[in-house]
Amino acid sequence: MEKFTKSFPSKPLGAKTAKPWALAGVVGSGNLEVLMERGSKPADAMECHVETSIPGYKASWLAALADFAHHYPAGGTKVTINDQGAPPVLVNLRLRQAYDHLTKGDK
Amino acid sequence: MNTAKSAKRRQNKAERIARVGKLARGKFVSVDKVPEVLRRIIEPGDILCLEGDNQKQADFLANQLATLDKKDLRDIHLVMSCITLPAHIELFKKGMIKQVDFCYAGPQGTAIADLVKAKKFPVGAIHTYNEIYARYYIDLTPRVALIAAAQADRKGNLFLAANTEETPAIVEPTAFSDGIVFAQVNEIVDKLPRIDIPADQVDLVVQAPYPMHLQALFTRDPAAITDVQVLMAMVALRGIYEKYEVQSLNHGVGFNTAAIELLLPTYGERLGLKGKICKYWMVNPLPTLIPAIESGWVESVFAVGGEVGMERYTAARSDVFFTGRDGSFHSNRAMGQLAGHYAIDMFIGASLQIDINGNSSTVSKNRITGFGGAPNMGCQPTGRRHPTKAWLKAGAEANPGPGSPPGRKLVVQMVETFQAGRVPTFVEELDATDPGIRKALHGVTPVMIYGDDVTHVVTEEGIANLAACRSVAERQAAIRAVAGYTPVGLKRKKRETEDLRARGIVQLPEDVGVRPSEASRSLLATQDIKGLVRWSNGLYDPPSQFVDW
Repeated sequence: MEKFTKSFPSKPLGAKTAKPWALAGVVGSGNLEVLMERGSKPADAMECHVETSIPGYKASWLAALADFAHHYPAGGTKVTINDQGAPPVLVNLRLRQAYDHLTKGDK
Repeated sequence: MNTAKSAKRRQNKAERIARVGKLARGKFVSVDKVPEVLRRIIEPGDILCLEGDNQKQADFLANQLATLDKKDLRDIHLVMSCITLPAHIELFKKGMIKQVDFCYAGPQGTAIADLVKAKKFPVGAIHTYNEIYARYYIDLTPRVALIAAAQADRKGNLFLAANTEETPAIVEPTAFSDGIVFAQVNEIVDKLPRIDIPADQVDLVVQAPYPMHLQALFTRDPAAITDVQVLMAMVALRGIYEKYEVQSLNHGVGFNTAAIELLLPTYGERLGLKGKICKYWMVNPLPTLIPAIESGWVESVFAVGGEVGMERYTAARSDVFFTGRDGSFHSNRAMGQLAGHYAIDMFIGASLQIDINGNSSTVSKNRITGFGGAPNMGCQPTGRRHPTKAWLKAGAEANPGPGSPPGRKLVVQMVETFQAGRVPTFVEELDATDPGIRKALHGVTPVMIYGDDVTHVVTEEGIANLAACRSVAERQAAIRAVAGYTPVGLKRKKRETEDLRARGIVQLPEDVGVRPSEASRSLLATQDIKGLVRWSNGLYDPPSQFVDW
């Protein structure tokens, strides 16, 4: 088990989103859950809370989250991640899915 | 002294056949006499061809050969497509092999790496399929070929059923150079459904006590396809298939391309791509292609081999598949490889390792697998002259000089950035550059697809268009940009990536109009093998290891 919290610079999220929060993925073996909520401060940072069952990959997590915050305007969101050994490739997909749900809705 | 050659080979063949004598009745040998017949027809120094590719194996004859010892058989120059059976390895352990030339060693890859380390693997070269078939006509013409067929009639004509594969490519050079062709068959019948090899080219036949080994190599269970693979499939469909209007193609055997096949009737249909892409296929009868065929996407499929369980389905869809006059499926490995080399817009496949220059390999220090057919398809056929839309479009992007072909085949590597167990796919240097391996291969690094031939790399991060890169440094930056969080990927520079993205050389899923939130297994035409059976109207008979109902 490893836990860490970090904020990443990111352009502010648009004034309007489809919903106040969005969830992607499930906490299950080899999978992870990403909860993305709007309304956190400051408006130009993405605040991340990660809890993972597999320690030792903090550098990869930080790199993936920093890139995501850089690529997408996600400032002012709080991202909570519960990971149960998801392969690294899945992390980015779930982040994008949560963001997509948040900004454009579930459809 | 007169050393000119005349017809000594023919005479030598007659002597060998005479030595068999009463061990055979006409051409027919009984099971218990096979080891002695092999001992009498093979001479020291012979080039001996054992039929066996990655699907079909002359396994009975190989097993009988392995019962012999060095005193019976020595100094053999073994030539074959695939070293896949324990019996093959036995020949090396017994010290019978002077040299081996082959293509592929899937299941025996670890055993071969061990033999290399023990210096018991005197390899000439690892080839591609068409390369070794070509050499059967040049400097590796077999004296004796041990082959496999489904049926023989009383004259020795052979029926090869769905798995014709490489039999003609072995028999012709052997039979037309006074070599001996010895066939194991599953059964001997009065009348064959069709004649694939005429009796004239067959010297000896044995009805094997068990049917020849057939590997279900191309069956991918949709249940094992992941959301990430669906995302990559969507990205490839939009960013490559749709963009270049890929009409003719080959798919590798992985789950990534299986996901693409299963997205055609759903996602592809919604994008309005039916009739515009994926019409002509050079590929084995992939069960995961059934939904696309049933939805009317596919005009034709030509195959290098059959696939276990697809016999009734392919016979019932003879408008799509090549079939004999008896109605049953036909394949041909040499011709299929030729078609895959010259006549397709795109080759797309996966790999275990890709280096920063785009070279790929399936070799690791403990496993030497060889090539098979991928390099024949995953390369630029510079002898090609006919244009297609995709070929010209890819060619224009590559900005050909006055001395270059105007078109390019799309050669696409589709990989997840990590393999199972968090092993990075992207590496600075391939394991294949290991000095021990290179020494065994006379200085050749066993690269599967050369980076210069690759036009695109697709990962879950996006697409890198290598053909559009204008320098080695740019190509390396493009590969790092899609290498995710592997050590290779982490060395990318933000500004370089942004520049490449602005120029369309690196594209994220969003850049090609893919919504990641849609990337879900529920988008596949079916989620399991049972669904494939349903799509086939009950004509597909999945092998038992795939049946859980």
